Amino acid sequence: MISEPAAPGGEADSAARRAARLLRWYPAAWRARYGDEFTELLIAEFAERPWSWRRAADVARGGALARLTRAGLCGSPPGSAEQVRAGLATAACSAGAFLAIGIAMWAQLTIGWEWEPPRNAATTVGMTSMTAAVLLLAVLALLAVVPVGWSAARAVRDRRARHLLAPALLAVAGAAVLAAGSHHFENGWPGTGAHAWAQQGLVPGGVAAFCWAATLSISSYWAHPAALAAFPAAEIAWMTVSPAALIAGVAGVAGLVRRLDLSPRVLRFQARLAGSAAAVMAVFLAGAFCWVAAAGSGRGLVHPGAIDTVGLVVMTAALTVARRAVRRAARSAPG
Amino acid sequence: MVPVKGSEPAEPRQAEALATFGRYAGPATLILSSLADGAKHGYALTKDVEAFSGVRLAPGTLYEALSRLESQGFIEALESQDRRRPYRLTAAGATALRAHLDDQRRVADVGLRRLARSWGT
Repeated sequence: MISEPAAPGGEADSAARRAARLLRWYPAAWRARYGDEFTELLIAEFAERPWSWRRAADVARGGALARLTRAGLCGSPPGSAEQVRAGLATAACSAGAFLAIGIAMWAQLTIGWEWEPPRNAATTVGMTSMTAAVLLLAVLALLAVVPVGWSAARAVRDRRARHLLAPALLAVAGAAVLAAGSHHFENGWPGTGAHAWAQQGLVPGGVAAFCWAATLSISSYWAHPAALAAFPAAEIAWMTVSPAALIAGVAGVAGLVRRLDLSPRVLRFQARLAGSAAAVMAVFLAGAFCWVAAAGSGRGLVHPGAIDTVGLVVMTAALTVARRAVRRAARSAPG
Repeated sequence: MVPVKGSEPAEPRQAEALATFGRYAGPATLILSSLADGAKHGYALTKDVEAFSGVRLAPGTLYEALSRLESQGFIEALESQDRRRPYRLTAAGATALRAHLDDQRRVADVGLRRLARSWGT
């Protein structure tokens, strides 16, 4: 075998530190498998050629690829249950980002509709599409949660749930904080929660107000600190706590999906649900584009701002990632 | 090439296996060719590939290709030696490499024949 060039003591320590720094580009699971041997290779490379920007860039690119592979977005040809779970977890995270922005947009629109109906047909069509999509996504989410909850309950019954404890706690805590806080702040907006289903508007005011409070942090007020400072302290605190709760909830769900030993049938079912959810998200996005395009130059309560344009860009990116993850998960699904 | 019944490559799926590696098909072929004469660890692989092909595989590229080859069952990791882990070609890897190199040789033969006919080189 070819022997590696050795570095003197002090230089060896420095090389090991540099190798450890470069290794951080890779995800923890990759480091656990390949970390030692990769470090040895890097140390040997340093001894032969101390500095190389091309090598550093290659390691950074390799690390990014390893992270994308771990997320089920690229890498080896799909085909294993692990890759289905990775794709589903990434799709859940992307859907979380999409919905945080989308629900913020939709809730403001539905509250605006309580005060004033849309001024043109395109906005009405856009808002109605978004509302129908939200309803469908809620149904799909319920259908997805049932088998995951069932599998988790069986794991608890069979005393195989130790590794599920952390993500489950994270998901439950995030959801509980988000639900309690949103309920507390839901009537902070004048005009919400006061009308019945049959009166003006698309959805019950309470639903719109709850969704508005849950996504209060998605706000252009962050760019206007003076105006933000006039808000009650509790509301500002909620604007910082609620995104953390949302991230915790989504991360917990993604962690559960990755760690749960779901049967091939459930994995196939979840992959189909995720495909349907991606299609419904596309309908929601089309509705949002329709609203922004139709009401762009108009005034009134439902006119879009710069934050909505940025929101559309982020939602498009999130949907693109979700679709890729879902496609790979579907191709990997057993049977 | 017109496919003739009974004269097609014996294992077309294996021949295509390395093609699914996309931009890593090149590094994968070099690594499998290097391992064809015995197990090697990362640094030994780099030096051997550089010696026979003139290509220096960067560490990130090398390990991306190694992890893909391992997940496809074309190579297998042996017991670690002082934190260095040698890799060995598997039977599936040898079959895939042979099919891939046969394909490449057919292309090379056609190219060389046409060059000789038209350019006299």
